[in-house]
Amino acid sequence: MFIGTTIYALINTAILALMAIGFNLTFGISGIANFAYGALYVLAAYGVWMMLNLLHLPYLIAVVAAVILNLILGALIYRFVLIRVRGQGISEVIATFGIGLAVLEMFSYFGWVGFEYTLPVLIDRSYIIAGTYVDMQRIIILVFSIFLILGLWFFTHHTSIGLAFRGIAQDERTALTFGIDSDWIATLSISLGAGLAALAALFIIPLGSISPGEGYDVLIKALAVCIIGGLGSTGGVVMASFIVGFAERFTDTYIGSHWTMIVSLAAILIVLIVKPSGLFGKQKELEERI
Amino acid sequence: MLEVNNLMVFFENALALNGLSLEVREGEIVGLIGSNSAGKTTLMNTVSGLIIDMKIKEMRKGGQRITVYGNIIYDGEDITETAPNQRVKKGIVLSRERHPIFPESSVMENFKIAGYLRSKTEVRETMDFVFTLFPPLVKLKNRKAGFLSGGEQQMLAIGRAMVVRPKLLLLDEPLLGLSPLMQKAVVDAIVNLNRESGITVLLSEQFARPVLPMVDRAYVVENGMLTLSGTGPELMNNPEIKAAYFGV
Ligand SMILES: Nc1ncnc2c1ncn2[C@@H]1O[C@H](COP(=O)(O)OP(=O)(O)O)[C@@H](O)[C@H]1O
Ligand SMILES: [Mg+2]
Repeated sequence: MFIGTTIYALINTAILALMAIGFNLTFGISGIANFAYGALYVLAAYGVWMMLNLLHLPYLIAVVAAVILNLILGALIYRFVLIRVRGQGISEVIATFGIGLAVLEMFSYFGWVGFEYTLPVLIDRSYIIAGTYVDMQRIIILVFSIFLILGLWFFTHHTSIGLAFRGIAQDERTALTFGIDSDWIATLSISLGAGLAALAALFIIPLGSISPGEGYDVLIKALAVCIIGGLGSTGGVVMASFIVGFAERFTDTYIGSHWTMIVSLAAILIVLIVKPSGLFGKQKELEERI
Repeated sequence: MLEVNNLMVFFENALALNGLSLEVREGEIVGLIGSNSAGKTTLMNTVSGLIIDMKIKEMRKGGQRITVYGNIIYDGEDITETAPNQRVKKGIVLSRERHPIFPESSVMENFKIAGYLRSKTEVRETMDFVFTLFPPLVKLKNRKAGFLSGGEQQMLAIGRAMVVRPKLLLLDEPLLGLSPLMQKAVVDAIVNLNRESGITVLLSEQFARPVLPMVDRAYVVENGMLTLSGTGPELMNNPEIKAAYFGV
């Protein structure tokens, strides 16, 4: 039972990290908390569902189109809405939350809820690992999350745009003196965050179904992970995903499933009381962010 | 190379620059001497275009109103309305006051970020050149920039600006907070850059003593207005300057 719980805790960690990484990236670079993140996640999922089931497009085309659409949507949200309230945290939150609400409640209104609204798994197979039944989709999520985080690390440390991200995140005005355009970088950061939300949905939704509630759920999980880890820190996201991921699974197995929610909420409260800026937060000034 | 005509800058109703005009010719080192809040940084930000970005951002969030009158001519072209990143592409590069390096990045990564407009090879070449200019930086290559001393950060800030390959280098108080020994190292490096690489320099400073010997010409600014100007030796022997800007 212990090994099985550990395997599922690792998978849970990967899912949490995958859900939070896009939200975190946007915040880390441009300081914008994109509260439309959950809606973008659900939107991509419904988008793929429609392309598959209504337009009968091939899977690959549908997912590529959904990711590209989300990238564009993210950029549009910045260019047409956020650009005018830049630097006013509360207005940014209200604006993005408003967009998110509108999208999610629209799907609720149309009543797009039910088991038929789901996405196909990538490979329909399962294994017994150390006596524990694990399906291929969960293994793929685990592997993909690792590659995604390594890829993002490489991107932010070794490409010119990624380095510009790090520059803007640390000191926007100084970054300008090297010819880096802050609005362009902020646009990219939201766009990329939205693209990552789409990717997360494509991998995670097949484990369940698409519903507006899923949007709120993802937003809350992303927020929880980022609050525990310290908003904007990739190291923090990984660390917090491990903490919450393991705490949830072990509570579920050894204490009882109705306690899992309490455990993650308790983790948030404890972190907020002990270190309000999160484990890897900015308070400890020289921590690596992004 | 650079001509600033009748520049006026308002922050709301407060006048930071009041009809300031000056000129920097190709190959010169020009000093801008003025005490605290005389308007040095405002001038640097206006020439580099940062003020345009500040203005736009203040406007978006309904903050303070920044107004700029007058014009800036660079290489015969009016750049008063040109965006800061376009000015960087034209070769105007500012090293900001208080050497704000990227504290969480290593010294090397600071160079890489500054090399946004340059190729990897160009960044590496400039980095090697900067290391000959400021040898202490070599050992600190992989250290987080936030852990460097003030003097080391200033070397990094000036060296980092070199990565952009400036034609006109604007240095806002490059000697601020440095020990006399460090000041000398930085002054020598600036002169070196000017002589060897032909980079034109406009630098600001509160005190006349450390900069007058190195500059071709200098301007003295008070309350956003020019009060004196002349060559280095002329100003050195000016009693007013001695009284006001030689400090202790
Ligand atoms: N962002 C700003 N908002 C309001 N006033 C400013 C701002 N920046 C500078 N000032 C004012 O403009 C004047 C010139 O400041 P500054 O250019 O920073 O001087 P210096 O660099 O010579 O110390 C000062 O009176 C200062 O208070
Ligand atoms: Mg100043």
